[in-house]
Amino acid sequence: MPYKYLNWKKLYTTMNPNLAPLLVTGLGAELIYSFVIILCGLMIYFGTKELYELSSYKGIQYFRKSFLFFGIAFFFRYFIKIIFTIINPQEMLFMRLFPPLTTILFIYFSSIAIFYLLYSLLWKKWKFLKVSYLHLLSATISVISILIGNSLFYILINILFLLIALISLSIVYLRSNKISLKNKLYLAYILLFVFWILNIFDILIPSFFEKLQLVIYLSSIGIFFAIVYRVLKKAGSD
Amino acid sequence: MKRNRLEIIRDILKIVQTNNSIKQTPLLRKSNISSSKFKEYFLELLEKGFVIESKNKYQEKVISLTEKGFKFLEQYKTIINFIEEFNL
Repeated sequence: MPYKYLNWKKLYTTMNPNLAPLLVTGLGAELIYSFVIILCGLMIYFGTKELYELSSYKGIQYFRKSFLFFGIAFFFRYFIKIIFTIINPQEMLFMRLFPPLTTILFIYFSSIAIFYLLYSLLWKKWKFLKVSYLHLLSATISVISILIGNSLFYILINILFLLIALISLSIVYLRSNKISLKNKLYLAYILLFVFWILNIFDILIPSFFEKLQLVIYLSSIGIFFAIVYRVLKKAGSD
Repeated sequence: MKRNRLEIIRDILKIVQTNNSIKQTPLLRKSNISSSKFKEYFLELLEKGFVIESKNKYQEKVISLTEKGFKFLEQYKTIINFIEEFNL
């Protein structure tokens, strides 16, 4: 295999403290990156709090929760990276549970974040779909991903989500006649989904984008900053 | 054109604001919605604290706007712009 996949079964027996995650960017860069994304997620969530409290508008609820879940997913993403670099799970029985537990949570929250973001755009048309189904689907995907023990499954699922997201976004924006390069929000959403996939590659196949890691991080931060700026501007927050 | 939920809430609160305090029956008449729908919206507005019911000097029940109700009317355009901006 050309790349090192994060295989849980292999991990327990052949833990390599020098596993790729932090080779290129370093612990500090990981911390800053995760912190910035988590902060962006929280800024969007709390920045739209008043709008939601006043309107109780479902679209706003799903939108803000999506970014909250992005932030939580990144929190667990950072945890995974730190655990693999600093802590040797072989040392304590309890610590051996950390990698799969944090990965389940990372997969769950990253899946539900994408679902909520899509649902915020399509909830009026997809009235048959209940939010609880999305949570159930995310939980199922995360558990199956861990049980299969091969991150390729989860990556393929997310690529499928990306395709669904691209088609759904195109439908939404086509109908509203807003599909054009001038519509920066449309572009921002597309890039957000693309960089989300790249982040998943980064966490699950650490060596895949070794040389491009910094570019991915900076681009992801740029996308999130753009969305935060737009949200806070429109929400009228200070 | 059919009003959506937020528009109806805005219209009801605007009527209350304009009249300072108003009885339920004239409010229902001016809102231009069915009595069953009005009841739904009115209960929601009461629960959310946008309006309160009190008694005037004639001991008649009247409805008036709360601070939160005023806030909704102030922020209405912002809410709508946000929803349109992000296609929510």
